Amino acid sequence: MIPYPILRALRNMKQSPFLCVATVGTVAATLTILALFVLILINLQALTGRWSQDVQVRAYLDNPLKGSETKEKADALKKLEGVEDVVFVSREKAYSRMRQRLESADLLDGLSPEVLPVSFEIALEDERRSRRSIEALVPQIQSLLPEADIRYGQQWLERFESFVRMFSAGALVLGSFLLFATLFIVSNTIRLTLYARKDELDIMALVGATPFFIKAPFLLEGALQGALGAILSLAGVFALFHGVFREGLGSLLFSVGSYEIHYLPGNYQLAILGSGVLLGLFGSLSSLRKFVRIGP
Amino acid sequence: MIRLYDVSKHYRSDAAALEGISLHIDKGEFVYLTGPSGAGKSTLLKLLFCAERPDRGQILVKGRNITRLKPREIPHLRRTMGIVFQDYKLMTSRTVFENVAFPLEVQGKKRIEIGKRVYQAIREVGLEERMSRFPLELSGGEQQRIAIARALVVGPDILLADEPTGNLDPGVTLEIMELFKRANARGTTVMLATHSQEMIQRMPRRVLTLKGGRLTGDEGS
Repeated sequence: MIPYPILRALRNMKQSPFLCVATVGTVAATLTILALFVLILINLQALTGRWSQDVQVRAYLDNPLKGSETKEKADALKKLEGVEDVVFVSREKAYSRMRQRLESADLLDGLSPEVLPVSFEIALEDERRSRRSIEALVPQIQSLLPEADIRYGQQWLERFESFVRMFSAGALVLGSFLLFATLFIVSNTIRLTLYARKDELDIMALVGATPFFIKAPFLLEGALQGALGAILSLAGVFALFHGVFREGLGSLLFSVGSYEIHYLPGNYQLAILGSGVLLGLFGSLSSLRKFVRIGP
Repeated sequence: MIRLYDVSKHYRSDAAALEGISLHIDKGEFVYLTGPSGAGKSTLLKLLFCAERPDRGQILVKGRNITRLKPREIPHLRRTMGIVFQDYKLMTSRTVFENVAFPLEVQGKKRIEIGKRVYQAIREVGLEERMSRFPLELSGGEQQRIAIARALVVGPDILLADEPTGNLDPGVTLEIMELFKRANARGTTVMLATHSQEMIQRMPRRVLTLKGGRLTGDEGS
């Protein structure tokens, strides 16, 4: 047996299909945009985190070291404070890696490994992966390898992280604006429904209905419409993710770092659904206050 | 059943809708409230079902002072009353059955009981074949009968009617009055506002006369 408020809410929606579609559509559009922002953001943050793990200092040498000097230098570098591990990359190893990374490996035909420099890859401890720590370490490495060309991607990474932070802030501002705008639209759409039913609401009060009894179907109606809008938006984002993002964006990210993009995790999907429900609910509530009065 | 003690109501500072009204109505009485337009009949009825509050005085309904009721208590008072209006006040988006059933749904009655009582109430007003229709598909007289069925379905102690036959022709008016008479015969206290002297003459009962917001006559008690 369906409880009265739910039955009434479903009937109200059936009686005003256009307004119902308007509300559901507005919520769906807003949450789709928000979900897309969140999807991009969580993948950017995951990528940043991953890259951050890979941050290393590389010391390139045009001429390989003699004999046991390679091992001596590697051991000396390992003893520096903040260094977790040191790997020596020979010319042959560098050449082999390049062949693996390039899609068109035949580009390297005719080139010999001797054109590539040797290098020491210096992996840092987690807490030393900041720009400041690296810049303090670089002179020490330079003193051990005076002829080395020392490179590290930290500057670029920090700029990227800064971009992600700005993107997050922008998403927050836009998201807040969109949510308020949607709340306003939902509230006014439901207000139109209530205007059309004002006489009915007055009659309900006259025959002894409590404010809750009168409001409950409308609140549920708002919540249902919000939930439907959220489900539509999740379906839309899912379709976009599999149809467009995975191929396009995924290839781009893969080419710069072997990273696969992921869809919204379950808790984010629940949050989107919850947001839809709350949007509909508060949209209704803000309108109902004006229309439901019992006494003088 | 109903007692008013020196009740006054003003809508504007210089115009009194009601002034110094004191009266009592016993259980089971049938009372007309009459007077010219603007005499205060509708205002008096609104005070009884708490759509308005008096500016002065006390009103007791079944021994309870309704001038002190909190807003959340008003619905419970209204559930013991049946109210009939000149413009019927039916919910046009609901069927006849749903309109009459609504007061019982509000009280949380079970579906089976609602079905039984609604059918009985609609049959009593002679419209059982119209149950699945919508109000706007009915004539004025039929709509008013449905409104009365809705008012009576809860078995009210008090039935208030504000010009219930104001929009109806004489033939239909008689039918409507018959319904009020039957309700009163079952023990319901009826208070009916009207300016129709013809109706009062056809079915004589106690008459309270209002003029300019004051009680100027109380006859037939």
